[in-house]
Amino acid sequence: MIRVTWGKGKSMPESSQSTSGQSELAASPTADVALSVRRLSTSFLSEGRMVNAVNNVSFDVFKGEALGIVGESGCGKSVTARSIMRLLPDHVTRYGSESRVEFNGGNLLDYTERQMRDIRGDQIAMIFQEPMTALNPVFTIGSQLNEALVYHTTLNRIQRKARVLELIDLVEISNPDRRYGEYPHQLSGGMRQRIVIAMALACEPDILIADEPTTALDVTIQSQILRLMNDLRRKSGTAILLITHDLGVIAQMCDRVLVMYAGQIVEISPVDELFHDAAHPYTKALLESIPHSGMRHDGQRLTTIPGLVPGLHDMPIACRFADRCTLRQSMCDAFPPSLKASGHRRQVRCHFPVHSAARPLEKG
Amino acid sequence: MWTYFLRRLLYNVPVFIGILLLVMVALRVRDPVYAYLGKNASADTIEAKREEFGLTRPFILATPMESQFGSFVVQVFTLDFSDDSWDHPGETVGDILGRCIGPSLALSIPALVLTTVISVIISVVAASFRGRLIDQSLVIAAVIGMSVSFLVYIIFGQYWGAYLLPEITGYKPFAINGYTHPSETTWWEYITYHWPHHCLLPVLISVIVAMGYDTRFYRAVMVEESGRDYITTARAKGASQIQVMFGHMLKNAMIPIITRVVITIPFLIMGSFLLETYFTIPGMGRQLILAVEHADFPVVQAFTAVLAAIYILANLLTDVLYALVDPRVRLS
Amino acid sequence: MTDETHSRSLQKFLRHRPALLSLSIILLYGATAAVLIFSSVMTMEHTLEPVAAFNLPGFSRQCMPEKRLRDVERSFRRIEVALRRRNPIEQLKSVTAGSLVLASHDPAYLQSRLDQVDGIIDRLYGYEDLDQIVQDSAQDASAILDQLNELESVATELFTLAEGRTEAGRRFRLLLGTDKQGRSILLRAIWSVRVAILVGFVTGMVSVVFGTALGLVAGYFGGWIDHAVNWLYSTFASIPNIVLLIVLSFAFDGGEFDDLLNRWTGNFARKIIGVPVQETLIPVFIAFCATYWIGPCRVIRGEALKLRELEYVQAAQVLGYGRIRILLRHMLPNVAHLMLINFSLLFIGAIKSEVILSYLGLGVKKGPSWGIMIKQSGQEVINGFYWQIGAATVFMLVLVLAFNILSDAVQDILDPRHVG
Repeated sequence: MIRVTWGKGKSMPESSQSTSGQSELAASPTADVALSVRRLSTSFLSEGRMVNAVNNVSFDVFKGEALGIVGESGCGKSVTARSIMRLLPDHVTRYGSESRVEFNGGNLLDYTERQMRDIRGDQIAMIFQEPMTALNPVFTIGSQLNEALVYHTTLNRIQRKARVLELIDLVEISNPDRRYGEYPHQLSGGMRQRIVIAMALACEPDILIADEPTTALDVTIQSQILRLMNDLRRKSGTAILLITHDLGVIAQMCDRVLVMYAGQIVEISPVDELFHDAAHPYTKALLESIPHSGMRHDGQRLTTIPGLVPGLHDMPIACRFADRCTLRQSMCDAFPPSLKASGHRRQVRCHFPVHSAARPLEKG
Repeated sequence: MWTYFLRRLLYNVPVFIGILLLVMVALRVRDPVYAYLGKNASADTIEAKREEFGLTRPFILATPMESQFGSFVVQVFTLDFSDDSWDHPGETVGDILGRCIGPSLALSIPALVLTTVISVIISVVAASFRGRLIDQSLVIAAVIGMSVSFLVYIIFGQYWGAYLLPEITGYKPFAINGYTHPSETTWWEYITYHWPHHCLLPVLISVIVAMGYDTRFYRAVMVEESGRDYITTARAKGASQIQVMFGHMLKNAMIPIITRVVITIPFLIMGSFLLETYFTIPGMGRQLILAVEHADFPVVQAFTAVLAAIYILANLLTDVLYALVDPRVRLS
Repeated sequence: MTDETHSRSLQKFLRHRPALLSLSIILLYGATAAVLIFSSVMTMEHTLEPVAAFNLPGFSRQCMPEKRLRDVERSFRRIEVALRRRNPIEQLKSVTAGSLVLASHDPAYLQSRLDQVDGIIDRLYGYEDLDQIVQDSAQDASAILDQLNELESVATELFTLAEGRTEAGRRFRLLLGTDKQGRSILLRAIWSVRVAILVGFVTGMVSVVFGTALGLVAGYFGGWIDHAVNWLYSTFASIPNIVLLIVLSFAFDGGEFDDLLNRWTGNFARKIIGVPVQETLIPVFIAFCATYWIGPCRVIRGEALKLRELEYVQAAQVLGYGRIRILLRHMLPNVAHLMLINFSLLFIGAIKSEVILSYLGLGVKKGPSWGIMIKQSGQEVINGFYWQIGAATVFMLVLVLAFNILSDAVQDILDPRHVG
């Protein structure tokens, strides 16, 4: 729980004590909010038209928590993350007029590039999917780790080198001295991803956004990396926003989950409750489609969700999942559902959430 | 790393010998002596001349000193340029080579350096504003520039530099004829007056011609590099656009850039033919054309071999530079 | 590529307006070349005969007064010379002014008209600098212009169109002016299209086919074949283009080789095109193809190396398909787009190289080509006459630009991740 400060004047946060590996967070309004996304809509100018990739997304990231965003490819999770970091090309990206990303007292969507540069890597860091290509092949590991420190701290060369070695050690890589002078191609994929994590945590950011960090790794390595990230989170109090399409990763890592579909959030829920009692039909269908042991003996077939995600150009006006939903009613095609609180610390975007009392008639 | 160099060197040697073979065969398709002496010479004179220049020897199948090919290869590798020129009696090929290299270098090296530097800067600008107006106009300008013949640039360059400019300003800063060797004047005068007077205009023309091609290519390289993941990582760390472009991107882009610079060298050689001819600069290119016109066989043969050797050396240089720039090559 | 991908690419191409425009321009040039090659609507002779006074500007623009005076005086001079001969009437019949002939062959009539204008001519020659006077609109300027007009109208009366010519035809020929021998620049520029298309097309086709064949074979089979092709490739690539072209042209330039070639090809050239080999472009073709094949070879070889590792090629191998079949049916279609792009690039390269070679005297020998036009116009530019170099440059620019745009568009469509 010790958080070392290196000449930046950062204060110690309320460290969240962990008991079972998942921290209990009070969801009361007074809990510390690290980042607040309000009504975020991101659209791109493509071939003369505006294409909407993220639609009216709102959520909070609490300090020190692990929040997962799960959804299939193309549902807008990456775009959401990059919108927060403002890593999308400015001249073709448009945000909603009411969209806000509140962080440390300011709206990130209004910040200039210079202001964003100060924040990136220092207060909010991001790591990406492909460890093999995330590092610059012609610079040493040491110099790339050094870079983040150069941009955001006032440490001198000796102090920086010490910190870099400390970071390499932090991510459980042996022989930091040797690694310092090595090049990325001399490391394995898992090791590179550890370095990437080290780079991201170099300046002790408040939030670490991880965009599918383990998708490109072997399953065994995947588990190690996730455990590492969790350990580091607890040690430093950095919140993690974990983006993935793999529910197993969510189960292992996260406290709360956002489920996204077709550019919208369809469910927000603490992890346990999501897995035991999913509210949104989409989430439910996702969970049901996971193969489980014993299926073979029962002669069961794999369950899938029929249909396809609607294309960006022909989004339905009302519920976007209606087409593929087993609980579809005529209301679903007429009125778009909004994200509503549903039970304790949960929100669902559905007219007929699965666990609520308002069950619809079983569709014949 | 040294094994790498050795390998490259050994690889290039058979290539060079292949070139020599090609050149020699090409030049013997038409009997060189016949071409030189013309149709009016008698058969005896021709035969005598051929004997004199060793052209009656077997081409390959003999000991090195006795075959034409063998002895030429030996000559080249021992840098023996003592054959007499047919067209310039009293001068050996070596003499001619010696006096022609200087002017050629005076044109090619500044042109190479200027072109590369300017194109890289322009392409970095174009790539970082990709898709916007400045990028589009640069690309259009490059494409149009590429579609006009070199000759037109030369003609208009001369017209502008040697006729219009004097008319408007009264000065005659650029000459379109002649050249002064550095040995004929002091170094200072050479750099501040003689070189710009004779060489600056052709060099500028050479740069303008090459810029279209180079800019488009470098821009493509830059744009491709800028789409790479490590660039996104760097930006996520808080790097500014400039730090990303010149720190991260440029070093990775050096590899294709270096290749490209090497490819530009033969283009420069070609350009120098035309520029030297048009500007009457006594360089290698012009000399070669004159030799071809006058069927001066030894000169043509030797010069071609030298030019090819330059190209091969440039290739080797590229390999060296690769190793310096790309650690992946260095450590393999 | 599936059929669906094909049709989608085609659709994207059809929506790409610059590409369509470029394609139509290229087809226009190609059609022109075809007409020139296969029909006799216009022959080389047309480009070689004088049409009017030399260095006339195009679009019927007025020359400077000095020039007008000299031109009109020259035509009168010709009549005068003919009149002084022993058999004037015979001589008069062969007097021409460009493509015009005398309307009347009556010596007495002609002599009287000549006497009429002699005085005017002498007076005009009396002035120091006609051009300056007119330019400054000095005192005598309008009088001078009137007199010039009168001279020219007399000349117009005396001369008329030759048999079988039309006024429209003459105006067409003069559209872009005349070169320093009075030949029609427009016709010369159009004839050059023939040369350009021929050179570009033959070079492109042969180089691409040969380069692709070697590249595929080298990339697919690897081993010693690859080494051999690599050696061959490096050898040719290491000689700078121009040097090789010059050396090859030197080699093919003499009468000896042409006789040899004629014997080999059984006077093929003479029979088909009606012209002996040394006057055709065959030496140019050989030189170009020998230098340009390396481009496609390298690219295709790289692609073949990549394709070889793809699953469906390995699947085909496992299924026992013959290697030739794999090459032709699986690999060739996938390099087709590279072949097309390289063809365009080589086409352009060949045209531009031809210009340079012709300038150096090594390329086209008979008849005009853009290179020869540019070469001849070097001197003219100093005197401010841009028409010949302008025509050649513009004709060439349009074609080359069209190819550039087309090949860019094809690259963009077929490989969306491609840049540049």
